[in-house]
Amino acid sequence: MTTYTICIFTENTIGLLNRITIIFTRRRINIESLTVSETERKGISRFTIVIKHESREEVEKLVRQIRKIVEVLAVFGYLNDEIVYNEIALFKISTSLGTKSLDVETINKQYKAWVVYWGLDYVVIEKTGNDTEIFEVFAYLKQYEILEFVRSGRVAVGKTEKGLVEYLPEAEWESYM
Amino acid sequence: MEAIANVMPEVIETKPAPTYINGSHALMKALLAEGVETIFGYPGGAIMPVYDALYDYQDQLNHILVRHEQGAGHAAEGYARVTGRAGVCLVTSGPGATNLVTAIADALIDSTPLVCIVGQVAKKLLGTDAFQEADVMGVTMPITKWNYQITDANEVPEIISKAFYIAQSGRPGPVLIDITKSAQLELMTKDFVYEKCQTLISYRPRLVPKQEQVEAAAQLINAAKRPYILVGHGVQIAKAEDELKAFAEKTGIPIATTLLGQSTIPTNHPLYVGWLGMHGNYGPNVMTDHADVIIAIGMRFDDRVTGDASKYIKQAKVVHIEIDPAEIDKIIRADVPVVGDAKAALNALLPLVKPNDHTVWRNEFRKYDAVENETITVPELTNTNGKIRMAEVIDMLSTKTKGESILVTDVGQHQMMASRYYQFRRPNSLVTSGGMGTMGFALPAAFGAQVGAPDRQVVAIIGDGCFQMTLQELGTIVQNKQPVKAIILNNNFLGMVRQWQQLFHERRYSFVELQNPDFITIAKGFGMAGQTCTERDNLSDALDTMLNHDGPFLLEVIVEKEENVFPMVPAGASVAQIRLK
Ligand SMILES: Cc1ncc(C[n+]2csc(CCOP(=O)(O)OP(=O)(O)O)c2C)c(N)n1
Repeated sequence: MTTYTICIFTENTIGLLNRITIIFTRRRINIESLTVSETERKGISRFTIVIKHESREEVEKLVRQIRKIVEVLAVFGYLNDEIVYNEIALFKISTSLGTKSLDVETINKQYKAWVVYWGLDYVVIEKTGNDTEIFEVFAYLKQYEILEFVRSGRVAVGKTEKGLVEYLPEAEWESYM
Repeated sequence: MEAIANVMPEVIETKPAPTYINGSHALMKALLAEGVETIFGYPGGAIMPVYDALYDYQDQLNHILVRHEQGAGHAAEGYARVTGRAGVCLVTSGPGATNLVTAIADALIDSTPLVCIVGQVAKKLLGTDAFQEADVMGVTMPITKWNYQITDANEVPEIISKAFYIAQSGRPGPVLIDITKSAQLELMTKDFVYEKCQTLISYRPRLVPKQEQVEAAAQLINAAKRPYILVGHGVQIAKAEDELKAFAEKTGIPIATTLLGQSTIPTNHPLYVGWLGMHGNYGPNVMTDHADVIIAIGMRFDDRVTGDASKYIKQAKVVHIEIDPAEIDKIIRADVPVVGDAKAALNALLPLVKPNDHTVWRNEFRKYDAVENETITVPELTNTNGKIRMAEVIDMLSTKTKGESILVTDVGQHQMMASRYYQFRRPNSLVTSGGMGTMGFALPAAFGAQVGAPDRQVVAIIGDGCFQMTLQELGTIVQNKQPVKAIILNNNFLGMVRQWQQLFHERRYSFVELQNPDFITIAKGFGMAGQTCTERDNLSDALDTMLNHDGPFLLEVIVEKEENVFPMVPAGASVAQIRLK
């Protein structure tokens, strides 16, 4: 199984998420993670979808089927070494009386994670990184009481110099800004 | 009093009261701006405002009341297939829309342009499980080329123009517009302005192929020893029949068609070798394994054509001319993809290909023709034992109509027999449900085709099973005085399923025998003329009576009960394993 990151640029319209995910569902491809937000261009969204698949050919076909959706502007499929990518994880750790006291220095220095919120009897620690790095922090923090843990979907940019956005038909974008 | 009079200006400037129209009237104007003449529809609560507006437009927009929304969809498909323009359906929310679903799916897979306008509950009721609310957007998302929900009357002109553009351009397909009742009723807040959509930022079908692809294709074709053209529906969609003929005649390359590709080229053209696929002709199937270069035009390597795709044309280089880039390499890897419209592609190729005649190669097909003739065709047409055979009916119909009719078929053995034995002379003459294989397609589609092509003879070939799926459309045909001729080939079985049971399930005829009604009495009940033919000796007269009848006519022919359609490539077998019996 190889991990692929699929970046999709679309018009920002109702129902598109559904139209895109149906294409995966119909081919029985599981979505590992999915992130969507509007890009720097108004009205244009960027999906980042991570899947695992055995066959590059099938992924290429999938990309072409996604491109067929009327509101889709561009689609790119990447291998991990072709992108810079990250996720964000938040850990809510109990600091109530009687729990083990937190070693913030190790968390900062060794794990490059930061306390971003102090509650009355808990803190929230944020870690940005790839899934391996995030789960290293998870393993470390398990010794404390983890009240909540959440991880975002992947975000990614291509390693090519210009960036994906350059591939879009920019000339026509004015009407969308 | 005086004081007031003094301050009043002499001329009071008044603006004319705004004459804004409501969403339903906007829809009417939009349809007219698109040149729509005919709408196939069925009213109901959530589309009433549109029907109310339609009342004012009766002399400009011909609305046809069908008997079931599936019928509206198939009629619109028939209309679209013969005219090349989008068929328009108008139905209500909930059950109206869900009844249309089969036809929408059918249109998607057979690349047929439809614009389906569907009522929806008022905006404030959306998502409340209101009366007759169904998530039609969700339901139709995977089976439309595009769908959109209008919730504001102001959106109507832009969305309708987009709908027609998307349905009819590139690879055509069905588009669904869900319009809330509130948007139908509310007034636009600006003037109605209609601009025809010409392009969209994110959707730009490539019409003219890249020159380097065309050149690479020409090189391969010029060097080929045993080139072979496979033609799909795309050639007729692109109206590229003349270009195809010119290309084939210059290069001398034999042409086979898919089921939907039939009638692209006259059946008696010397370069035409027959049709491909599960029940296609013997030679065309076997010879795909002998070709060194396959030129596939406007076809998508459906599994009914390829059989086991992993064993299909391994020996050949493939040039795939196709407007939908997602079809390239989907089933069969293309050595040279040519992405573009078939007409543009063939025009670009024509000057680059060298004249040739490939006589020896072409003659190889004829050996197989002889075998097929001897083992199947001649016996089917001349064996006078037993009941009438489907083949005889189609053969005789073909002769009597000189191959000039539009043949609309349903799904099953009769469909395959109609395709085998009708000798098409003109393009756009076979309307059939290929990709979906939708039973119940023929009667409404024949009606729609007749509306779209009033000057042509339309003959529907229907199985006794299929007929009972949409027979209520007889009423539509009669009410609209369309001279559709329908032939039921009655074998008292769900014949095609029975054939499979016979061949692959040890004759375990599980639920395939029908207790049929008296079809002619039913036709008469609808006010349609008809007769039954049981004897071979009466067949010719019966066909004449039907063809000469002024108006619609139902002819029931009682045919051999347990007849099989051969040749046949068993499901999952390779095309080389095609069976003659
Ligand atoms: C809506 C639908 N249901 C079921 C089928 C499966 N099916 C394909 S052919 C066939 C039999 C058709 O019988 P009939 O109309 O009598 O035609 P025949 O094959 O006897 O010519 C059936 C049931 C189908 N294609 N469509």
